[in-house]
Amino acid sequence: MDKLTKDNFQKAKNDSVQKKTNWIKVGMSTCGIAAGAREVYDTLTEEVKRRNLNIDILKTGCLGMCYIEPLVEVCIEGVPHVVYGNVDTKAALGIVDKHICGKRVMNDHLVIK
Amino acid sequence: MYRKTIFIKDTDSQGLDRTKEFYNKFLENLRSRNLQNDIQVARAADIGIYNQGIVLRVYGEDTIYVQLKETDIDNIISLTIEKNEIISSLQYKKKDKQLRRVLRNCGVINPDCIEDYLANGGYQGLYKVLTSLKPEEVIKELKISGLRGRGGGGFPTWMKWDFALKTESDQKYIICNGDEGDPGAYMDRSVLEGDPHSVIEGMIIAGYTIGASKGYFYIRAEYPLAIERIQNAIDQAYSKGLIGEKILNSGFNFDLSIRLGAGAFVCGEETALIASIEGKRGTPLPRPPYPSVKGLWSKPTVINNVETLANVAYIFIRGAKEFAKLGTETSKGTKVFALTGKVKNSGLIEVPMGTTLREIVFDVGGGVLDNKNIKAVQTGGPSGGVIPAQYLDTPVDYENLSKLGSIMGSGGMIVMDETDCMVDIAKFYLGFCVEESCGKCAPCRIGGSQMLDILTRISKGQAQNHDLETLSRISFAMQKASLCGLGQTAPNPVVSTLKHFLPEYKEHTENKRCPAGKCLDLLSYKIIDEKCKRCGACVRICPVSAISGNREHGYSIDTQKCTKCGQCISVCKFKAISKE
Amino acid sequence: MEASNNIRSDKEIKDLVEKWKGVEGNLIMILHTIQDEYGYIPRHVSFELQKLLDIPLARIYEVITFYNYFKLEPPGKHKISLCMGTACYLKGGVDILGELKSILHIEPGQTTKDGLFTIELVRCLGCCGLSPVMMIDGKIYGKLSQEKIPEILTHYIEAES
Repeated sequence: MDKLTKDNFQKAKNDSVQKKTNWIKVGMSTCGIAAGAREVYDTLTEEVKRRNLNIDILKTGCLGMCYIEPLVEVCIEGVPHVVYGNVDTKAALGIVDKHICGKRVMNDHLVIK
Repeated sequence: MYRKTIFIKDTDSQGLDRTKEFYNKFLENLRSRNLQNDIQVARAADIGIYNQGIVLRVYGEDTIYVQLKETDIDNIISLTIEKNEIISSLQYKKKDKQLRRVLRNCGVINPDCIEDYLANGGYQGLYKVLTSLKPEEVIKELKISGLRGRGGGGFPTWMKWDFALKTESDQKYIICNGDEGDPGAYMDRSVLEGDPHSVIEGMIIAGYTIGASKGYFYIRAEYPLAIERIQNAIDQAYSKGLIGEKILNSGFNFDLSIRLGAGAFVCGEETALIASIEGKRGTPLPRPPYPSVKGLWSKPTVINNVETLANVAYIFIRGAKEFAKLGTETSKGTKVFALTGKVKNSGLIEVPMGTTLREIVFDVGGGVLDNKNIKAVQTGGPSGGVIPAQYLDTPVDYENLSKLGSIMGSGGMIVMDETDCMVDIAKFYLGFCVEESCGKCAPCRIGGSQMLDILTRISKGQAQNHDLETLSRISFAMQKASLCGLGQTAPNPVVSTLKHFLPEYKEHTENKRCPAGKCLDLLSYKIIDEKCKRCGACVRICPVSAISGNREHGYSIDTQKCTKCGQCISVCKFKAISKE
Repeated sequence: MEASNNIRSDKEIKDLVEKWKGVEGNLIMILHTIQDEYGYIPRHVSFELQKLLDIPLARIYEVITFYNYFKLEPPGKHKISLCMGTACYLKGGVDILGELKSILHIEPGQTTKDGLFTIELVRCLGCCGLSPVMMIDGKIYGKLSQEKIPEILTHYIEAES
């Protein structure tokens, strides 16, 4: 990694802009992991790979809604950007099947704030 | 691609969940208009609004309808969906006041990736400070922001920094207190795990300001993931040159490393924490001298809590004035709470200072679990107090909470319902402090265990009214005479429950009754003959054979043998066993 | 009961200490390293530390006994950490403890005779949203009820046979 200096600092910021769409974030703090986030992360990664989809599966911290962990945020082009809660491996497969491939919001796991 | 997305959910938790029926009717109506490929409708698990009947929200719009009936569907589709007209009689204004500043990056960025933090504006505050501000100017900004310590006491952060800046020394230190000891609070853990760089950024700014070239994270060993992520973040910051020598071409050098706590609540106290970093027993020292003057290895040291430092980063990224826009006269900004206990939506919340407890519990938290009545809210953990339900409309800030006999604390907020006994709660917290007392000073060591003894007798029905006076007297002595914050605040849960729930204490002492049905020794189990269907399930499950009788003559419980384990109650399908 | 793989040579202890040698206030961090390795702080290691660090044994024990986290007894094969934080307490942590005690016949802080389980009470695991909670060997079990306990424990017992 190159060291940041006074002069290249702002450039570094602009260089690291994130992908706008086609990603999934899994909340992986202690509480999320306790509720099964790691299994969900693995399932999503495998399923996306198996279907050869160009979707990034990202790890992130705690979204705060511990009562409905594990939480998965899904941002796919052409489908509403939503958060799913109480996601188990079955729901994770559902996200890939219905939300990503079917381009339709999945029932019964939506968390809207 | 759908033109519109509609979310629905039945938020009335009493009775049956009608979401599915409503969903089916909605879908049916869409089909009859041949809109099913145009408009999608989805059932939500949590729609962000609570106890408002069937709720409907339109994705990407502010439209929220509540208390819906199936007869409303036709109108909603014809007007709102087809013509974009609002039906004002159904409309609802969302009251949830959550606002994420400290938690701005938690759940947004990848905590193991410094590029993510940079892309979201991270380290811009540090850049501003190092390239354009003198230490005195940093303190001036901080003063404008009005930031006060989020660890409990609420001491103005700028003052702490100013003391340390003005104390001449060859070496100074900055410590991040991540020894979150309040049982029932985990705000700091979430920030450390979800946004480690914002805390690091705050620390480097603090280091630059007071002239410290060394910083320590003091983190509970019980938080392995937080430790791992902070270590990783420190390594990344080093390799980016944001920690180390001549940061961003300035003359400022800063080193940062982690020290682990080892399970001692008293180490949340500044002087004890310092002793622990020095590798010693975590026993506190009398203050003054304050750590800002004489701290770690007798050098000036600033100790800030995790949330405080995350706020520092925000202040220098977004500006002190922006920060101070939120909050009350004396308490600026937001506060993160770990909202737990008997609340529906347990979790981590962040609200502006001045939000009322009612808004927090009902609008954000969704109300009390199982729709029981709320009895009190506890804040501040073992050093705090309980706030009874009649004060729920109090805006939360440092002063208001202390007027009610509690404290802001680090952010534990525990909701209690009518089945929670206040004597039991006081005993729980005091028991915690007695176990965690380091034993150095007598008021805390002896006072605590004497009080616990009295509370235990109260809960067993062996105490008299004069014991309550003794409790108050010992509390006063401990508050005045203890050496450190632990002992001084340990009686708070007792004092505040005595203040607000004296009749409940008196029920225990005078009538030997526990109104909440919690204190086991004051309860006795009884079979209600009229309700008993004589199935014998309780006889079979009782582990101590305390239930006898037969199908013909009914059953009874031998209170001498009964251990009050409650198994008979849970197995009885007819609610025929009472405890009181 | 001290398992054979827990006996280390003096050399290995020295290696564990090496990283922290010369660092100010290193004792607690060294004790953490030792406990991560052995599961507790064995007596012979403390004696060894006394020589390696040139500090009195009393200083080492003074620190070990002050902090709850450091243990002087070897833990069982599976460590059950039951949360007794406020949220877990309110939501029935005591009932869970009762169930654990009645199945394993030990008190908190003790290890079962077969060396399989140790029960330990902890202050807060930081998963209040899932309360009541317990952790077995780093895996967290949330939203517990008395009925769930036998099944969870059976899982660990069956893995043995």
